[in-house]
Amino acid sequence: MKLSRPSIRPSRIALHAVMILLVVWSVTPFVWTAQTSIKFTRDVASKTPVLWGYETTANAYRNFWLDSDDVNMWGVLAFLLVVAAVAAALGLIGRRARHGWPWFLGATAVICVALWRFPRFWEANDEYDFLVNSVVVTLLTMLISLSIGLLAGYGLARYTGISGAVILIVALGFRALPRTAFVLPYFFGAKEIDEWLTSTGVGSWNFPLIDFPGIDTLQVLDTRLAIVLALVAVNQPFTIWMLRSFFIEVPKEMEEAAMMDGATRLQAFRKVIIPIMWPAIIATGLFTMLLAYNEYLFVRVLAPTEWTLPVAIVSLTGGESSRTITEAAAASVSITLPIVIVIILFQKHLVRGLGAGAVKG
Amino acid sequence: MSTVTLKNLVKDYPNGFRAITDLSLHLDDGEFLVLVGPSGCGKSTALRMIAGLEDITSGDIYVGDRRLNDVAPKDRDMAMVFQNYALYPQMTVAENIAFPLKLRRVPKAERTAQVRQAAEILELTEQLDKKPAHLSGGQRQRVAMGRAIVRHPALFLMDEPLSNLDAKLRVQMRADIAGIQRELGVTTFYVTHDQVEAMTMGDRVAVIKDGVLQQVDTPEGIYGSPDNVFVAAFIGSPSMNLYEATLERHEEAGGDRYSVALGDQRLAVPPEVVAARPALTGHLDRPIVVGVRPEHLEDAAVVADHPDDQRLDATVDVREALGAETLVHFNLSAPSVDSGDPDALDELRDSGRCTARFSASSTARVGDRARVNVDSRHLHFFDRQTHLAIRS
Repeated sequence: MKLSRPSIRPSRIALHAVMILLVVWSVTPFVWTAQTSIKFTRDVASKTPVLWGYETTANAYRNFWLDSDDVNMWGVLAFLLVVAAVAAALGLIGRRARHGWPWFLGATAVICVALWRFPRFWEANDEYDFLVNSVVVTLLTMLISLSIGLLAGYGLARYTGISGAVILIVALGFRALPRTAFVLPYFFGAKEIDEWLTSTGVGSWNFPLIDFPGIDTLQVLDTRLAIVLALVAVNQPFTIWMLRSFFIEVPKEMEEAAMMDGATRLQAFRKVIIPIMWPAIIATGLFTMLLAYNEYLFVRVLAPTEWTLPVAIVSLTGGESSRTITEAAAASVSITLPIVIVIILFQKHLVRGLGAGAVKG
Repeated sequence: MSTVTLKNLVKDYPNGFRAITDLSLHLDDGEFLVLVGPSGCGKSTALRMIAGLEDITSGDIYVGDRRLNDVAPKDRDMAMVFQNYALYPQMTVAENIAFPLKLRRVPKAERTAQVRQAAEILELTEQLDKKPAHLSGGQRQRVAMGRAIVRHPALFLMDEPLSNLDAKLRVQMRADIAGIQRELGVTTFYVTHDQVEAMTMGDRVAVIKDGVLQQVDTPEGIYGSPDNVFVAAFIGSPSMNLYEATLERHEEAGGDRYSVALGDQRLAVPPEVVAARPALTGHLDRPIVVGVRPEHLEDAAVVADHPDDQRLDATVDVREALGAETLVHFNLSAPSVDSGDPDALDELRDSGRCTARFSASSTARVGDRARVNVDSRHLHFFDRQTHLAIRS
C-alpha cells in the first residue's frame, strides 16, 4: 500500500519553523561552549567571531584538570578511550549474559579504578579531586537513597493504614520545603557533633579499620559523608514517592503467588518484585544521580574545602580574560559529558520507567 | 491423604466489617469443592484465609490433623491459581513453572523433567521458552495451572481462575481443569461467582452469601432441593421464578385438593406434593413463597396433554429464540420475591416477571396471550419470613 504524502499546509510549515527555532535556541549554547573549549585564546578574543576553520587545542582542558603545561593531551585522550572501551565491552557482554550484574559491576569498577589511578600517571589539579568527590557523593547518595527508597516505597505501597498516609504526607511536606530551610540546621548540627568529637577526644582516635588515607581526624563537617547524608535526607521523600508509585502498579498477587510457591516475603521481594521493578529502579536512580551531581548549596555550606564540581566551576565565572573563558568552557563540557553519556545509555529505561510504569498488563 | 476442615471460621476487618461468619466446611481427600456466591460475599476471603494470605479472626483450619492457623503460606503445602494468574513477567514459561521447585531446591535435572511433564499435561511444550507477555489468555491460565500442579501439593486453591477468559475458552478450560484435578486426585477448593462453573466442576457445591454459608450439597442436590430462596434463585440460569402466593386447601369427598393462588390465577398442586412436605399444611391460607424453574413451564400449544388446572395465562413480553429452546418472558400479576442476590439485574426484580423455557417449536409471539403448562410436581415452597424451604 502506498501512503499518500502529507499535504504541505502553512500551519505545518509554521509548526516546523517553531520547532527548528526551539532546537536551535537550546542547542546553540552547547555547541558554542564546546567550540570555545577547543579554541585558542586569540580566536575566542577576536572581534569577529571565528565559527569554523579555527585551529583546535586541548590547552583549556589541560589547564583545568592538570597541574602541568607540557602534557601531551593525546595520551590522556587515549587513556580515557581505552577505559571507555573496556567498560563498554564489559557492559555489552553484561547485556548479552544471563546474569548481567557481575559484568555491569565490573564495568563500574574499571571506571572507578581508572579514576583512582589517573593521578599516578598525570599530575592533577584540585579540580580532579572535586571530580572524584562528585563521583563518590553521587554514587553513595544513589545507593543509599535507593536502598531506603525501595524498602520504604514497597512498605508504603502495600500498607494502607492511616500511619502510612501520614508518613507519605509528611515526606511530601519536607520535599516541598526549600533547601534553604534545611541547610543551616544541618550545618550547625554537624558543627555541634564536630565540637563534641573534639572536646571528648573521640575525633582524634585511631580506628584501624577506617584509617582512610588523608583522614586523620574523625569529623562530619567538610567531609563527603556530610554531603551524602544531607543529600540522602532531602532527596529521600522523592525516591520513596516515586518508587512507591511503581510498586503500587505491581499487583499484590505477584508476591502472594511467590509466597504460595514457597518463598518467604524477602525472597518474594528479591526474586519476583525487584526484577519487575528494574526499569523503575533505574529511572529513580538516574533522577537521584542528577540531583546529587548537580547539588550546589549543600556542598557549598557543609563542605568549605571538599567541593564537588558544581561548586568548583564557580571560581571560573568571575574571570574577564578570554583565557578563563576557554577554561570555563572546557570545565563545562567535561562536567556535562559523563552525565550525557549515562543518560544516553539508560535513556530507554528512563522513558520506560517514567512512561508506562513497571508492569505491562 | 489430605482432607481439609474449616471450623467456625470468622473474619473481621479492622473497620468492623464481618466478611466471614462461622464458616465450617469439610473436604474429603481428592474432593473438588466449589465455593460459589455473588460478588463481595466473602468467598475469596475464605480462600485467602485457607492460603494464609489473610489473618484468621477466630476458628481453625486443618489439613489432615495439622492445624494451620499460624503456619506461613509457604509452609502450608498448597498451590494457588489467581484470577489474574500472577505470572512472573520477567521469567519464561519454563522458569515460571519451575519457580516453586527452585525454591524447594529441587535439583536442576529433576526440575526440568517435572516442568516438561507438567507442560505436556497442559499442552504448553511449545511455549516453554516464551515470556508470559507473549502468550494468549488461555495459555497464561495454563501456565498458572502448571505452576500449581508441578509441585504435587496437598491442596489446590483456585480463585476465579476462568473469569478472565472469553466464553468459549472458559467452557473448554472448565472441562480441562476438572479433568486434570480428577487425574491428579488433589483436593481442590475452587472459588467462583459463576454458578455454571460451580454446577459443572464441583463434586460438591457450597453456596455462600454475605459471609454466611447457605447450603453444601452435590450439584444435583443444590439444584433440586435448594434450602432457601437465595440458593434457589442463585443456582440455575435463567433463575427460578419466585412469587408470593397462598396455598389453599379444598376439602372434597374423594380427598383434599390443593391449589396455589398466584395473583388472580389458581394453580392446582397434586396432593402427593403436599404429602411429601408435611410442614406445608401449617402454612395454609398464609402467604408463602412459591418457586418454579423455567424448564418446568411449557407452551400449552406444544404440549396439549396437561391437566387443565395446572395452567396459567399470560401475555408474552419478550421472546428469545436460542435455537435448541426458546426463552419466553411474561408477566404474572403475582408479586415477585427478592432473593437477595446483589448481582441480579434490577429488571429481573420487576414485579411479576416470569421466565419460561419453551421448546423450540413454540410459536408464541410477543403480545400473544399464551397458555402456560406448569409442572406442579416441581414447585418449590419457602417460608415468607425466613425464606427457608418448607419441607418436613
